[in-house]
This record gives sequence, structure tokens and C-alpha cells, in this order.
Amino acid sequence: MADTDQVMEPSIDNPFISSPALHPRPTLQNVVSTVNFGCTLDLKAIVRHARNTEYNPKRFAAAMMRIREPKTTALIFSSGKIVCTGAKTEKQSLTAARKYARIIQKLGFDITFNDFKIQNIVASCDVGCPLSLVRMSTFHGEFLVYEPELFPGLIYRMKKPKVAILVFPSGKIVIAGAQKTDEIFEAFKNIYPVLMSFRKTK
Amino acid sequence: MATFELYRRSTIGMCLTETLDEMVSNGTLSPELAIEVLVQFDKSMTEALESQVKSKVTIAGHLHTYRFCDNVWTFILQGASFKSEDFVQNVDRVKIVACDSKLLSQ
Repeated sequence: MADTDQVMEPSIDNPFISSPALHPRPTLQNVVSTVNFGCTLDLKAIVRHARNTEYNPKRFAAAMMRIREPKTTALIFSSGKIVCTGAKTEKQSLTAARKYARIIQKLGFDITFNDFKIQNIVASCDVGCPLSLVRMSTFHGEFLVYEPELFPGLIYRMKKPKVAILVFPSGKIVIAGAQKTDEIFEAFKNIYPVLMSFRKTK
Repeated sequence: MATFELYRRSTIGMCLTETLDEMVSNGTLSPELAIEVLVQFDKSMTEALESQVKSKVTIAGHLHTYRFCDNVWTFILQGASFKSEDFVQNVDRVKIVACDSKLLSQ
């Protein structure tokens, strides 16, 4: 996996930027992944013997386990499928999933690490200046939804890469729905010039 | 009626259990009666803590482990402080076992 050290090159797409170092960069906030341990799990036994676990079958069918490093939470289902949330990078999500597998394995279950998949990556960024969402919505109509009475942010659904970008008037944005870190940076590269052209000028 | 048996693990509860066990093994007490005594102990403890205890204590510390199983919370705190109106007590390690009192009335 490419190291997240990409720098945006000055180009025709970014007429406002002279130096790449001045570009704001999205920071990854959450990575959600799933994995299949390939065997039925006895959740009662797991919560009894493992630490930092909760299981309330009346409320939710899965056990919730947390580990401190990487700081993540896992939903463990009796089917053997796991959802791992809270990691900050793809690599951390994998490490965390493996740690959960190790914990369950130590309790005596026959674990195989199958079908690990990153399901969602969320990142946030600050473009640095306030934006005029109203102007933006009049120009790029087909990709976006802006209903300030429902939600203060503008929702831009980018087709390629397939991500959703929430744009707020403060200039802060959220990019979500990516399956790879590169998609986040690609999406930001695509949206940045668009956002800058809708700066709020006073 | 179901009772919370967690108070049997307190020092007083353990002493009662020990005493009753002794009495049952040398025949002075029937096992059924011993169980009745323990059930009454559970009820009395719950009743006493509910109605006769008014003090409030704040417990703060680093949560080492937690567990929620069968509607029972178990916490292990490190470096905890028990603060109330008139005293502060610091402990290295404390285990807290908590049951939901709403479950008793169901």
C-alpha cells in the first residue's frame, strides 16, 4: 500500500496554488473493516473470558470488544463475522483485526482470517477559507444536494472515485465512503479547485 | 422472587455462608433452611442499602478492564479515589461489580 506521503503537484487544475506545501491535506479519521473468522463463535463464552467486552443480547446480537492499541472497537457476531471500527489508517485496521483474531483464538476457537476488507474510510479537511454553498449549488447541480433547512452541509456525491463529500460553510469538509486511502486523496484533489472557486469573498 | 446474590461475596456475606455451611455439615441446620437464610440476607441487604444508606461517593480512576455479561457490569479500576463529603480514600486497585436494580422488580 502506497505510503500516504503524496504531495499535490501545482498544475492547471490548481491555479490558485503556487506551492504544493501550502495545500491542506485530508486527515483520516476512521477506517471500518470486516473480516470472517470462519467458524461459529460462542459469544457468552467470549464475554466471560475476554476483557473489555460487552454483550447484551436483548439490545444487540453482537458482542462489543475494545483494544487499546490500535484504539479500536470490534463487533463480534456469533456467525464468526467481525466489524472493526475506529482505526486511523488501513494498516491499523488490519493490525487491529488480527489482534481481535488472536484474542478469540486464545479462547480456543478455530480461527481463520478470511475476506478481510476495508469497507469505509472517512477523512476530514479544512480548506482554510469560508465557502459559499449557495453559489456552489447553483453551478454543480447534478452531483450535489444542498438543503440548509435539513442539514447545514452540502453533500457532493463524486462519481469517480465513488465518495461523498460534505462541505460546510466554514471551509471544513468531510470525505467518506472511500475503500482505499488513495481514493480520499484523489477525491480531495478533484474537489479542491472546485471549492476554491466558490470561496466566500467579502 | 429472584434476589441479587452479589452481596454474599461481601465480608459479612462470606462469614454468613461459612457459618451456615458449618451448621449444615454438622447437622444443626437443614440445607433448605440455610438457603432460605441466604435469600433473606439478600433481601435485607438490598432493602437496607436502598432505604438506610444516604451517602454519595464519587469513584474516579483509570479503567483497567470492563465486562458486561448477563446484565452484570464488572469493572477493575487502577489508582482509584473514593471521594465523599467527609473523606477521601485512595486505592491501587478496586473491582466493582454492579447489577441493574430495575431487574429486581421485573
